[in-house]
Amino acid sequence: MMSFDPYGNPTYFILLFVALLPLMIGLLYGRRSHVYETIISFVFLLLTFGGVKWHTGIALICYLVYQIVLVGLYSKYRQRPDSPNKGWVFVVSVILAIAPLAVVKITPAVSHGASSIIGFLGISYLTFKVVQTIMETRDGVITEFHPVLFGQFLLFFPTISSGPIDRYRRFVKDYESVPTREKYLALVEKGVRYVFLGFLYKFILAYIFGTRMLPVVEHAALQAHGISWALLGVMYVYSMDLFFDFAGYSLFAVGISYLMGVETPMNFNQPFKSKNIKDFWNRWHMTLSFWFRDFIYMRLVFFVMKHKVFKSRITTANVCYVINMLIMGFWHGETWYYIVYGLFHGFAMVINDAWLRYKKKHRASIPSNKFTEYFAIFLTFNVVCFSFLIFSGFLDTLFFAGRP
Amino acid sequence: MKMGKRLFKIFGPIVLAAVLLLAALLSPFSFGLNHVSKETEQKAAVSLSANVLKGRLIKRQALDDGYVPFFGSSEWSRFDPMHPSVLAQKYHRDYQPFLLGARGTQSLTQYFAMQSVKKQLTHKKAVFVISPQWFVPKGTRKDAFGYYYSPLQTTDWLQSERNTAMDRYAAKRLLQMPSGSSDRVLADALARVAAGFKPTKSQQAYINYKARLLGSEDEFFSRVGIADKNLRKVEHQTQALPANYNFNQLDQLAGKIGKANTTSNSLEISNQFWRTQLKRNYHRLQGSQTHLNYTKSPEFSDFQLVLNQFANNHTDVLFIIPPINQRWADYTGLSMKMIQQFDRKIRYQLTSQGFTNICDLSRRGSEDYFMTDTIHLGWRGWLAVDQKVAPFLKQPSAGQLHYDLNDAFYSKQWQQLNPNDIRRFEQSN
Repeated sequence: MMSFDPYGNPTYFILLFVALLPLMIGLLYGRRSHVYETIISFVFLLLTFGGVKWHTGIALICYLVYQIVLVGLYSKYRQRPDSPNKGWVFVVSVILAIAPLAVVKITPAVSHGASSIIGFLGISYLTFKVVQTIMETRDGVITEFHPVLFGQFLLFFPTISSGPIDRYRRFVKDYESVPTREKYLALVEKGVRYVFLGFLYKFILAYIFGTRMLPVVEHAALQAHGISWALLGVMYVYSMDLFFDFAGYSLFAVGISYLMGVETPMNFNQPFKSKNIKDFWNRWHMTLSFWFRDFIYMRLVFFVMKHKVFKSRITTANVCYVINMLIMGFWHGETWYYIVYGLFHGFAMVINDAWLRYKKKHRASIPSNKFTEYFAIFLTFNVVCFSFLIFSGFLDTLFFAGRP
Repeated sequence: MKMGKRLFKIFGPIVLAAVLLLAALLSPFSFGLNHVSKETEQKAAVSLSANVLKGRLIKRQALDDGYVPFFGSSEWSRFDPMHPSVLAQKYHRDYQPFLLGARGTQSLTQYFAMQSVKKQLTHKKAVFVISPQWFVPKGTRKDAFGYYYSPLQTTDWLQSERNTAMDRYAAKRLLQMPSGSSDRVLADALARVAAGFKPTKSQQAYINYKARLLGSEDEFFSRVGIADKNLRKVEHQTQALPANYNFNQLDQLAGKIGKANTTSNSLEISNQFWRTQLKRNYHRLQGSQTHLNYTKSPEFSDFQLVLNQFANNHTDVLFIIPPINQRWADYTGLSMKMIQQFDRKIRYQLTSQGFTNICDLSRRGSEDYFMTDTIHLGWRGWLAVDQKVAPFLKQPSAGQLHYDLNDAFYSKQWQQLNPNDIRRFEQSN
């Protein structure tokens, strides 16, 4: 049987377009067939998780059943009119929701890089969706639970492998309605543009940076041992590759969602134009950083303030920044460089806030003009690229891996 | 209708682009893109790049323009002043080598690389360096073959196969490589060829379509990104040479340069190779090659493909068999007896079929500064090669070549034959 990486080659796109055509015609004439959507979702999931990768398909099915049951039980508990809404029930539910992901992430760290049998492509993105649903159920903003809709939310195939991370309520609103013809045509127009911009990003730019240039600079950097100009080259080339590869993929996911009449949120907004680190996280992998903001950072701040752990609000914010980013680091994987990457960004946020406070206080004496603005962009860009060098794991190869 | 207009605005450009692209790729016209400049030929001739080897247009043009194909492998990257490309340039020889091959290219890769230039090889001369190291028990490495694999050459080959023993064997070998089955339809066609059938009509149509597509791609892109690094090296190395060619003088110079470049070790291995490849593992490698055996390998049949192709095209070929650095062999325990056995077997395969131009250097590995490192010719070794190559390419072709091919060289029996049993093989085949 055929087996594809999502958006991996032209054949995938051609199949995708053929499958979407009836759906698009339907939407143009004001009809949405959930049956047809389910069928093509199933086919494309089969193409991704079937064939030689069938065991990941089994893992996906087990995971899905487990999470639907879990969220279903929690919803039942929480949505009872007389629900006691105990904190520990909530905490246990979240832990149970994260448990499969934790196993998948920790397995390679403790068993010499072997991957867990319960893992599958996209498990962390599904986990984000599950945890968020549980949290919003706890908050009482999600008041109804439909197992089938929830399953379709999790399995929405354009975004299943690497996001963007949509929100349950937002998704359901789109999925349950049919856009007006005018609006849908605008979506199609945008969607097609995104897909083609994605082609430029992923198949041309990411190819140039990642496949053509990166091996060359990496080789030069390894030959040079230690710090070298080539290492600087690795830093910038890797950063460009990372951005264009992921942004290209995200554009595909968003573009295809639009063609299906679902406005999946954007993931990138010209991140290298950021003026500071905070600005950067509002533009880079946005659905992930907003998820962390809403479901980790904000809740952490709330928890710390409620229990009056720190007197100063500044300390509270700073500690929460670092913990937030550290958790993000751990989420990327249990290696030193992901964790250092997380800490690096945590402290960068702390320094950034301190500077913004200082600037506010001394507004009169600090110049602010076009030049300082460009300087800020330049500085942020380099700090970010350096963090990506850590993230790439290349330093690990350079400094610690025994050369053959 | 408003919706139709809007949809046309959205999808019209895509449809138009797709039509134009298909037209450009499938049209028989080359839009004037099939011209390769002299500079590109010059760069490509020494670039050793996989793209040049895999491509078609540049090789064809360069060989049409009088470049002589020099088939081989990693030795070509040893650009010292006595390298064939350097000597040919410095002394304005009436031939220029077009180097084909790099690290990891073996007979099978070379056979397919020949497919796109069959016409250019016909009744022409060629040089072919046979590395004993190719003839390991497992034959060519699958990943190395994959790195140099060109679907274009496969379609070229499929379009001209005639169900001979050569074709069937080549198809079988290709199918054993992951790259050979990377395209399902081509793999099915190969399976038919291997079994002695023609590809089906629809496979044939697919092959023709693929050939056109890949050919156009080759015309559009093959010139992109050919580095001039090696050409600059060659030009730089010519500066070390005296204005006039004098063998004795050059031989002395080669010895002098060799001596100056091998100061870091006692094996007469170039300082650079020593520093980057050997120093670290030196102690580990002592006595590590006592079990190496180059006398039994599928490579012997892969090499037969190359001979077969040369014979089909009536190519006049000079074969070069390089030696192994004696000091290195002594250190690693490589058996010289085994090397001589290999030599006997490969020479039998050559001479018994009429390939008698052989520059056999296999016994000269102990001469000073003959090798640049462990197994690669350098300085005086290159000069010894030149002693054969220059006259060979100067004299007009012998006219009638008498090749007498024997399909038994495709057999497992030959691949695994102990060189002591050559007589018996000869009698039974």
